[in-house]
Amino acid sequence: MKALILVGGFGTRLRPLTLSVPKPLVEFANKPMILHQIEALKAIGVTEVVLAINYQPEVMLNFLKDFEAKLEIKITCSQETEPLGTAGPLALARDKLIDDSGEPFFVLNSDVISEYPLKEMIEFHKSHGGEASIMVTKVDEPSKYGVVVMEETTGQVERFVEKPKLFVGNKINAGIYLLNPSVLDRIELRPTSIEKEVFPKIAAEKKLYAMVLPGFWMDIGQPRDYITGLRLYLDSLRKKSSPKLACGTHIIGNVLVDESAKIGEGCLIGPDVAIGPGCVVESGVRLSRCTVMRGVRIKKHACISSSIIGWHSTVGQWARVENMTILGEDVHVGDEIYSNGGVVLPHKEIKSSILKPEIVM
Amino acid sequence: MEITEEKVVAVILVGGPTKGTRFRPLSFNTPEPLFPLAGQPMVHHPISACKRIPNLVQVFLVGFYEEREFALYVSSVSNELRVPVRYLKEDKPHGSAGSLYYFRDKIMEESPTHIFLLNFDVCCNFPLPNMLEAHKMHGGIGTLLVIKVSAESANQFGELVADPITKELLHYTEKPETFVSDLINCGVYVFTPKIFSVIQEVFLLREDRVLLHLIMWLLDLSFRSLPSDFVRLDQDILSPLAGKKQLYTYETTDFWEQIKTPGMSIKCSALYLAQFRFTSPHLLVNGDGKRKATVVGDVYIHPSAKVHPTAKIGPNVSISANVRVAAGVRLMNCIVLDDVEIKENAVVMHAIVGWKSSLGRWSRVQADGDYNSKLGITILGESVTVEDEVVVINSIVLPNKMLNVSVQEEIIL
Repeated sequence: MKALILVGGFGTRLRPLTLSVPKPLVEFANKPMILHQIEALKAIGVTEVVLAINYQPEVMLNFLKDFEAKLEIKITCSQETEPLGTAGPLALARDKLIDDSGEPFFVLNSDVISEYPLKEMIEFHKSHGGEASIMVTKVDEPSKYGVVVMEETTGQVERFVEKPKLFVGNKINAGIYLLNPSVLDRIELRPTSIEKEVFPKIAAEKKLYAMVLPGFWMDIGQPRDYITGLRLYLDSLRKKSSPKLACGTHIIGNVLVDESAKIGEGCLIGPDVAIGPGCVVESGVRLSRCTVMRGVRIKKHACISSSIIGWHSTVGQWARVENMTILGEDVHVGDEIYSNGGVVLPHKEIKSSILKPEIVM
Repeated sequence: MEITEEKVVAVILVGGPTKGTRFRPLSFNTPEPLFPLAGQPMVHHPISACKRIPNLVQVFLVGFYEEREFALYVSSVSNELRVPVRYLKEDKPHGSAGSLYYFRDKIMEESPTHIFLLNFDVCCNFPLPNMLEAHKMHGGIGTLLVIKVSAESANQFGELVADPITKELLHYTEKPETFVSDLINCGVYVFTPKIFSVIQEVFLLREDRVLLHLIMWLLDLSFRSLPSDFVRLDQDILSPLAGKKQLYTYETTDFWEQIKTPGMSIKCSALYLAQFRFTSPHLLVNGDGKRKATVVGDVYIHPSAKVHPTAKIGPNVSISANVRVAAGVRLMNCIVLDDVEIKENAVVMHAIVGWKSSLGRWSRVQADGDYNSKLGITILGESVTVEDEVVVINSIVLPNKMLNVSVQEEIIL
């Protein structure tokens, strides 16, 4: 079986992290975002993954070389020379996706994090016998998204309504598809949208079915949702009683600590924290709802909440970092500094407090 | 050679509760003059300075606070400094000169040759013996302590012109609208007893005016006047007497500030702590203790306070009685009042923490440290609780409040 991951472009919404690393390689819960998807695909027997990408394919392939061998999965890139929307990349990768098997293939959006119930999706796809399956997820505020109107018992999709003003349903496109190769015949090689141009036609022929995604779903393409997504992801690890979660008297709630990270005396960590490899958390530190990337040092008595600390950064003694502060790579926050929502570009030194959310160039 | 017995008394004007409103929320239960700067009541600094005057026989605190509010302090300071200190309560405000005049009999009881008059809200090094020497050299009724300030800030004070050679006071204007001079009145004076007859003359003039007022009222003419026994030193005495070879000036080049706001008390605390290095080094914590907290710069810690060895304190920190500072706490540029508890890893910067307040673990009480802006220093009133991890920035919190969410640039009623 094959799969296409829509990686896309610069990942500007996740800057300043994506100034250092392509978005799919930004760690989420101590693992590059794209590996969450590749591992899920591997687990259900996918043998080849195509990355639809329009930016830095070499960096991606270099990075993924190790994983190709380790996971025994083939990873290739299909590079767009111009943005082709959400459907165009499928046409571009047509030759890589089609083989003699005639099996359906997966399409995943790289910004999305969920439990990836791909096995159930294959069964669902086989059971309805249509041409395409899409995963949908229930949301509280459907008016912000494209709503999928479907027949509740069979899952047959009736239509798509973009940002509805009146309530038409609360299920939205979760960005996970399972498509028969014939779908590729419906897509031209030009910038085009799968939600607006391809799926409505399949739906009109009553060959498009939607499955409600069990468990959590989050688009983690921007920092606030990244932090929320970590909470949902760790919650699901907890439900599965994952041995990866840290425990101890200094831990509150769900926390991931890489085994190479060092935690000092008198710290209080959690809930919803991920501490990456090689990090040093000195004594008396408080961490909650945050991600601490590889190689970071958090000095004594610092307090960090609702923030992302980029690779190899340092946070000074008695510093306070909170409220969606995003530190890029190699940022150094001085002792006793307060950052309230500071978004700091890579390689900066912060010597005076940031009292209100602002961007430090 | 004739030997005249010289005797000096000092009068410190401490004001009353109505004046103390500017010091809210710290003046609800403590008179502003007793608010601690560098660990000592504000008024203690001028009193200690008076102690250095040769032949000082008595210090009077004059104000319209209740006597009981000062009773304890007055008795302890009298013992400590071995100088009689008395509190004299006015029935109502009389103005700075009026207050002096109102208690003239008590002040003159011991027939002093010189009378110092000091405002309690002044923070300076009080070069009182030097002033007295200068005064004796100049002659006249009195000598004012003056200082040069920036031309922009001078209009908040009494601006004056002095003769550069003779130091005579040539002209005096209180808080002028247009620039007069960058030399200002520090609110510290030395007078001979003749000052009483000068004030009396103003009184008599006033009584005439009251009579005039009455006549005009009978004639149905409007006429605004102050009560006859309210005499201000600046407008009513210094202005008219300037240029008459009666008043002289003594210029200080050391520090001087007026303590008009709670925020200024942090700056003044720093100035007094720095002065302690020369006058009272025993009051400063020396950072060489092995099992003590790390200390940076000038720090005062009351002997009854408990500070954990892993805490880092300073510069400019004053910690009052029975304060408990837990492990990993960071204190900088702040005043921590009696009975406060500061829990593990909390941070306090540019702030005043009111009596009996409690700061939770990893809480943060901070401000930008701009003494001149309204919320430039964070102030927690008495018995304020800041819960774990809560951040309080550039805010004023009135007494008995519990903060469980972070606040910034707010006044919490």
